[in-house]
Amino acid sequence: MSVLPTSPKTQFLDELERDLGVDWPRMHSVRKRSAEIRTALESEFANRFHPDVSLVVFGSVARDEVTSGSDLDWILLVDGEADPLHRDSEAEVGRRLTAALAGTKLGGLEKPGSSGVFGCLVPSHDLVHLIGGEDDRNSNTTRRVLLLSESMAVGRPHAYERVRRQILSRYVNDDRGLLFSRRENPVPRFLLNDITRYWRTVTVDFVYKQVRQGGKKWALRNAKLRMSRKLVFAGALLRCYYLAHSPDGVRAKEEVLSGDKNSEVFVDLLEGLCSLPALELLAKAVCESSLSLHGRRNIIGSYLGFLDLLDDPDRRGELELLTPEELGGSQVWKEIQEQSDQFQEGLDALFFGDALPSLRNFTREFGVF
Amino acid sequence: MRRIGYSTGAIAKGDFRRALQILNEAEIDVVELSALRLGELESLIAALPGIDLSAFDHVSFHAPSAIPADHERDVVLQLRSAADQGFPIVVHPDVIHDPSLWAPLGSNLCLENMDKRKHTGRFVSEMALHFDLFPAARFCLDLAHAHQIDPTMIECRFLLEHFGDRLAQVHISELDSQSRHRLMGAHAARAYQPLAHLIPDQIPIIIESLIDEDPAHELMPQLEWARESLCSDRAAA
Repeated sequence: MSVLPTSPKTQFLDELERDLGVDWPRMHSVRKRSAEIRTALESEFANRFHPDVSLVVFGSVARDEVTSGSDLDWILLVDGEADPLHRDSEAEVGRRLTAALAGTKLGGLEKPGSSGVFGCLVPSHDLVHLIGGEDDRNSNTTRRVLLLSESMAVGRPHAYERVRRQILSRYVNDDRGLLFSRRENPVPRFLLNDITRYWRTVTVDFVYKQVRQGGKKWALRNAKLRMSRKLVFAGALLRCYYLAHSPDGVRAKEEVLSGDKNSEVFVDLLEGLCSLPALELLAKAVCESSLSLHGRRNIIGSYLGFLDLLDDPDRRGELELLTPEELGGSQVWKEIQEQSDQFQEGLDALFFGDALPSLRNFTREFGVF
Repeated sequence: MRRIGYSTGAIAKGDFRRALQILNEAEIDVVELSALRLGELESLIAALPGIDLSAFDHVSFHAPSAIPADHERDVVLQLRSAADQGFPIVVHPDVIHDPSLWAPLGSNLCLENMDKRKHTGRFVSEMALHFDLFPAARFCLDLAHAHQIDPTMIECRFLLEHFGDRLAQVHISELDSQSRHRLMGAHAARAYQPLAHLIPDQIPIIIESLIDEDPAHELMPQLEWARESLCSDRAAA
């Protein structure tokens, strides 16, 4: 089992589709649309920024899961000297995206939400230096975790790639257990704990928003929590698992302990794992598991069914307007419940059941305490 | 109309013949022959008599960016053969150990302002010391170096105000925070435009953006960005 597939980042999903003899058109259509959006963004923003600045997009555009009504979450990441012109660049991105979103170039995407986490200029220093502690605010943690889990650069990637490596270096070099424990498997506990903290924050903030926004878009946010947000967490857990349990990871640990290599080897491996989208990592785990054909079909199929629903303006529209009091009478909500139950069943089998014992043991030993 | 061309090292690192061929085919008539690495100097100097540079309206020569003290005499001797052909010799002031060796280059000596990695040549005050040593020397303004030192470009304005009468040519590119010359884009255009009116039209502009990995696609776009960056119509008053 190798950490890094040498083929494009859809190897395991494509393999599953083939082996199960199913046809997942939604998977291909969202991939195609995501690629078209990325091409449009590249042509809009190529060569607009200083070499130390990267336009970074998050969420469904980066995960290859663009549906109608998807947001376009972005930041302008600056990793270099302060320059007053960076503000001009930020304003330019806002202007160009507003115009492109209003037209047909960006296929029905929506502007970033109003939380202030995205849609702005972000200097790299806090992302790298503030991990934990009082100054590591919600927005900083969110940007940092999602920068690793579901993001990509549009145009010049130098600042983006450099900052990702720097963040991963922090998680590796500050993790004494990873570097010095005699354990055979290199478990990146600092990273694992931070992504777990992020997931718990997302779930708690769901209730916070429920209160603050008076239930506005509650059902849609709840659906995303059950599916896409949970997938981000599952994917991040799998990255930690694969570092710990792959032959590459175990060999790297031997080499670091013996002094043959330095900790950069873990950064390299994590960088490779972060280049794989969460659904692809889940598919990889499914391929390696003893899940039944039915189980394999359901875990991926339920997630694609969710994307299907989101891409249907009528069903998505109903979900956006549904209040908690109206759930019982909604067929769309019933669908969400069925999909999320199937999805959770698959996750339970992988992370807690017998389908993949090494993952179960990893989750049990490191996933809670 | 601006006279814009390329450093051979930007187009084809270590292969000046290929770079010249690309420029000839694109009908670009401004060139800086680059011997930035010491090892490149001897072969370039040796080849000079046999290279047809008649298609070029402006030719300059970039000296090595690092010269050990015990090689300095020999390097200057070689550079003099390029100077004898009338080429401005672009030199980083920090490579000069013994000024008396370089003084005979006279107005062919063309001193360039430096980036943040260097300990001299970054500001007006530092360049002034070098021009005091070489009163006849001319000036190569590197816009990317100046921008790195002071992103407001005020120091660059001061460089032009103090040494504009010595201006022989301008280097243009964008620097990243590792001081590597990268492709230009809209950011460079915005940064450099306000000073465009201080650079006379007849001053040759040498693009240093590294395009050697994809010269076919980047040659003309970088030329356009250079033109846009130095379009004084858009300059701030």
